[in-house]
Amino acid sequence: MILVAVALAIAAFLAVFLAAPVASVFHAAFASGSGGFTLAHFESFLQISLMRESFWNSLSVAALSAVFASLIAVPLAYFTVRFRFRGALLIQTLGVLPLIMPPFVGAVAMQLLFGRSGSVNLLLNDAFGVAIPFMDGLNGVVFVESLHYFPFILLNLVVSLRNIDGAMEESAQNLGASGWRLFRRIIFPLALPGYVAGASLVFVKVFDDLGTPLVLGTTNMLAPQAYLRITSIGIEDPIGYVISVVMVVFSVAALWASARVLKGRDFATLQRGGASLQRRELSPWQQAAASAWVGLVLLLVLSPHLGILLMSLSRVWSFSVLPEGFTLAHYATVFAQSTGMIVNTLVYCGAAALIDVALGAAIAYLILRTRLPGRQLLDLAASSALAVPGVVLAIGYLRAFRGLELPFLQTAFTASALALVMAYAVRRLPYALRSCMAVLAQLHVSLEEAAENLGASKARTVRRIVVPLMAGGILAGFVTSFITAAVELSATIVLSSSASRAPMSYGIYLYMQSIAGRGPGAALGMIAVVIVGLGTYASHWLLERRSAAVARPIA
Amino acid sequence: MQAVRVEARNLQLSYGATPVLRDITLTVEPGEFFAILGPSGSGKSTLLRLIAGFARHQAGELLVGGKDVTGVVPWKRNVGMVFQNYALWPHMTVARNVAFGLEERRLPREEVRRRTEAALQLVGLDGYGGRRPSQLSGGQQQRVAIARTLAIEPQVLLLDEPLSNLDARLRLQMREELLALHRRLGVTTIFVTHDQEEAMTICDRIAVMDHGVIQQVGTPIELFDEPANRFVAGFVGSVNLFEGELRASDVFVSPLLGECRLPAGLATRPLGPACLAFRPHAVRVDAAAAPGGDGLGFDGTIAAASFQGETMRYEVRVGGASVIAEQPHRRGGTGWRDGTPVRLQVAADELRLIAA
Amino acid sequence: MHPKWLVAALALGIVSRPVLADTITVVTSFPSELTNAYKAAYEKKYPNDKVEILNKGTSAGIAYVREQPAGSRAEIFWASAPDAFEVLSSAKLLEKVEVPTQGIPDKIGSYPINDPEGLYRGQALAGYGLMWNTRYLQAHKLPAPKEWVDLVKPVYFGHLATSAPSRSGTTHLTFETILQGEGWDKGWNQILQIAGNCAAVTERSFGVPDGVQNGQYGIGLVIDFFGLAAKASGFPVEFVYPSMTSIVPANIAAVAGSKSAEGAKRFMQYTLSEEGQQLLLDPKISRLPVLPSTYAKAPAGYPNPFSGTIQAKVNFDTALSESRYYVVSSLFDQVITFRHKELQAATKAIQDAEKRLAGRASPQLDEARKLAWTPPLSAEQARDKELLAVFKAKKGDDAALRRKTQIEEEWSSKAKANYARAVELASAAK
Repeated sequence: MILVAVALAIAAFLAVFLAAPVASVFHAAFASGSGGFTLAHFESFLQISLMRESFWNSLSVAALSAVFASLIAVPLAYFTVRFRFRGALLIQTLGVLPLIMPPFVGAVAMQLLFGRSGSVNLLLNDAFGVAIPFMDGLNGVVFVESLHYFPFILLNLVVSLRNIDGAMEESAQNLGASGWRLFRRIIFPLALPGYVAGASLVFVKVFDDLGTPLVLGTTNMLAPQAYLRITSIGIEDPIGYVISVVMVVFSVAALWASARVLKGRDFATLQRGGASLQRRELSPWQQAAASAWVGLVLLLVLSPHLGILLMSLSRVWSFSVLPEGFTLAHYATVFAQSTGMIVNTLVYCGAAALIDVALGAAIAYLILRTRLPGRQLLDLAASSALAVPGVVLAIGYLRAFRGLELPFLQTAFTASALALVMAYAVRRLPYALRSCMAVLAQLHVSLEEAAENLGASKARTVRRIVVPLMAGGILAGFVTSFITAAVELSATIVLSSSASRAPMSYGIYLYMQSIAGRGPGAALGMIAVVIVGLGTYASHWLLERRSAAVARPIA
Repeated sequence: MQAVRVEARNLQLSYGATPVLRDITLTVEPGEFFAILGPSGSGKSTLLRLIAGFARHQAGELLVGGKDVTGVVPWKRNVGMVFQNYALWPHMTVARNVAFGLEERRLPREEVRRRTEAALQLVGLDGYGGRRPSQLSGGQQQRVAIARTLAIEPQVLLLDEPLSNLDARLRLQMREELLALHRRLGVTTIFVTHDQEEAMTICDRIAVMDHGVIQQVGTPIELFDEPANRFVAGFVGSVNLFEGELRASDVFVSPLLGECRLPAGLATRPLGPACLAFRPHAVRVDAAAAPGGDGLGFDGTIAAASFQGETMRYEVRVGGASVIAEQPHRRGGTGWRDGTPVRLQVAADELRLIAA
Repeated sequence: MHPKWLVAALALGIVSRPVLADTITVVTSFPSELTNAYKAAYEKKYPNDKVEILNKGTSAGIAYVREQPAGSRAEIFWASAPDAFEVLSSAKLLEKVEVPTQGIPDKIGSYPINDPEGLYRGQALAGYGLMWNTRYLQAHKLPAPKEWVDLVKPVYFGHLATSAPSRSGTTHLTFETILQGEGWDKGWNQILQIAGNCAAVTERSFGVPDGVQNGQYGIGLVIDFFGLAAKASGFPVEFVYPSMTSIVPANIAAVAGSKSAEGAKRFMQYTLSEEGQQLLLDPKISRLPVLPSTYAKAPAGYPNPFSGTIQAKVNFDTALSESRYYVVSSLFDQVITFRHKELQAATKAIQDAEKRLAGRASPQLDEARKLAWTPPLSAEQARDKELLAVFKAKKGDDAALRRKTQIEEEWSSKAKANYARAVELASAAK
């Protein structure tokens, strides 16, 4: 049966490119020199103070980032939903802008703007004689990450708030609650699923991020330590694997904990014909304050974009508020040297996105339309990629596939583009899968039965009816996969070696390694931002076209 | 189109441990307009889907045109199904929708075009080929669904509650059209519905189902006049039903009605628990002192009266029971007033004794 | 599912792109300006060859070469730190290649440019020095430094930056130079004070010149070409060679068991030729060629190690450096890199006390200085063969690894305790 073959093929893909590498990482962490089971490496890990420090740092940076992201996002979400606020469209834009700037690219610019001798501190020093350590050590990581990831909380929270039936609020008011008590006792608890979904996602993503700490030079965190140990000390270094295992365990724990909190609290309370929360008017004073807040956030959000733009055009920018002298030479350099990398990105990320939507659609179909035994396992396996940090997966590839040469091509698998493509595909599969499942779930099964009734076999029905009707969602999934892979750096750094086979994100990282390369690096970064921005716009447009009845939380 | 017989023999279907169809045996004659009637959860839709191939029975046989189709995939059965929500494909035009089955049969393009047009003409939608389903009204969408199915000239036509989504006026209109289509084409048609009026009006024969069991199969009049059991009696038309005991061949004792003398020949049942049934329109309402006739007579008081248009409906208190009586309304008649003592008469041949 | 075939074809297409010419893979820690220049120039001269640059930090590069199987290794290893080459050659990973050397002298000062066994060749020369941001110094009113020892002055507190030997072969060389020049005890004393004055210990050696160039830090310990290239690019920076420096070659070598030994030879030869050497003079690159005749074409004021303009007092002993490579790296990490905040606190406390006491003697302050600025490993201990062996232990030697971790923990906790105590004593000093 075709269905069984397809299911087996998917299972094989996941087994080879997800399960095997992760298993080899776990194996290496627990294997003694002679091959037996040992906890000695974990003991060593706990004994090394740098490891303990990195562990606490990673946890606290992730938690603080979630907190600061909440501080930015929660008031914005509340403004949008609760008030007739004239800047509502602006807030919507705020929900998108940070995500099109890859954090490690923005980080460099933030250094120039908010660093010890950056623009802001120079001005503050002149005016008040103080400097604020925005970018010192871990602060820098928290700052950059919160500013990049707060949209996850914003968007999820807005959807959640909008789904609250106005009757809930009205009945509470009827019984005497208002203002802060109303918010605390009724509104926020009902909006909790959206908030928890967003915050836990922020936590996991920051915890796993390799690129940003590396670029900022903060290496006393788990992800950079894992990377540094494996690449500098060697692939046999057990501590690197121990770190990887710790990262996976904590990612899983964070996701599980958030699922627990949300379980049984399906608060989509909006009834048919019901209205959302009341929208209130703002007094002019309140309008001004709210606008000021939004304006401040907007400025902060735009700072990395502005910084990178300035960097890409500046001749010299050193110890001054703004650069001196502008030039287009950096763009010229990029187009002369790095068009290969841009092409690489398009090819690799395109291939990965293609794999993702093919697999995602296939798994969605198997789960929602068949009764194949064990199909839930496929869903679980594909979604478990969420809990595997990019750096861990890449380290797993290095270990599980070392020595493996691609036939006829005389290249090691781990040094080839294929490894990158698979790593991208595996890690983005959960999102593509969710996208495809959402679309397929909205498709009434009678549309397929009608086709079968009229003589189309299952395969033909899929081709003529299911796929065309899923097209919007599939395309949106493709675009999302593509743009997130395009700015991914964690797995990329580990798996990229040669400059000519590298994608743009690695290229930017390489450029940033030398003084003369900062300008071109920023220029390439701008190109990446433009590509991602266009992709995001395309994805939104595609989703708008298919009439979605209910807004879904975005992740 | 060729008319075929559809036969179900001892079909059993369970979902896990829950039985949905129990020992279903029925025969739909070639060219019949057959209804499967029952409340929701009776299994009627499941039976229809089984015939179409979307459900698999665990035991029994299903023959279409004399061939056992057990295990045959839906796309090879050539039974056309019209879905309750029409299931028109939004990404195709009306013409493409209707042509779908023909394209799947790999017919030459010219023939596909010809038959598509013919099908649209049959349902009165010629010229609508270029539109999209979202541009059509509910009734038009349903016609497209029908045209799509008829285009392939199926052996059997299956209709899954086709009229439930239409408003009352459209429903009546579509009923007539369906009937007209059937007369014209003569294809064996099986029609699932929960609306007994619909079934009675247009179908040749009806199978009444409840809880996965066929309660009775017969023509509308048979079902109406000779219900086999309480369920059928109550489901098809309204009925006065009294539980009691058949003490002797002419004595029926009911706690609510008291002792009733039955006309001779009525009791063909064994003695013991039984139900006495008679239709409201069979109850004559006379003044209190009217003379009796054959059959049963009761004294009672008008408790409530409601005007139905063609009839006047009375709720009459008889002893501890309520009897519903319907009287034809003539122009100018005002009917009996609440509280009036009256005498009710039910003719002998309107009485029925059915199982308890 | 049809798209899958498409993907397989695509994938095969991706991977099969660069295989048909003679590919020369170069593992190097050099920045892209340099590698791009050589790649472009070489490929122009030898159009049938393709140069694949693998950019890796020194230790990552070593690990990478070590982990590749023989027969499919990279062709060239090209890096600044000579000890990296020692490590590779003792692991038998380098191959002797016959490349003509006319014009290139044997020594620079008293330091041999090429490996006596011929396994690696000097391709460029580098010195180490101080780079500073003129605007920063102006704004903070700091004097320009001249020697390493200047950097211990309290006025520079929080304005310096350095990288760590474990993360940067060249930083390792810089500190090893100080140790060899001043001796183990005095050397560490100086290093600890300088580190105490540092605002940060950066992850890659590049973090230092980068930070100085964009004004984040005032003064940094860098290799000469970083400073020279930045200045040539128009940044407001200056660079100076202290007298306690050594000029060491940046080497190039052919890796044993590579895919194309011929390609390796060609590339190596090119980098040592007149044409190849001239590429080093590009202002964005600013390296010192090993071929003395190249300097005739250099711009005025370009440093020339052969003409004696650079004072290099230290005769670098590579064997000594290589023997204690891991010990020095690890010691630096445990007592400086990972304890930087505590070291900074101790340094600040001591400097504040000194200011407070204004020259008065104080046993507490002396004790504080001793605690803060003496390493937990004496010169004698640092020569102990057993200790050195433990730090050179490889994978699979679980016992040695455990011992190493243990020793490192001892250093780390001792340092932490010492710094804390130093703060106490210094704050209490009267």
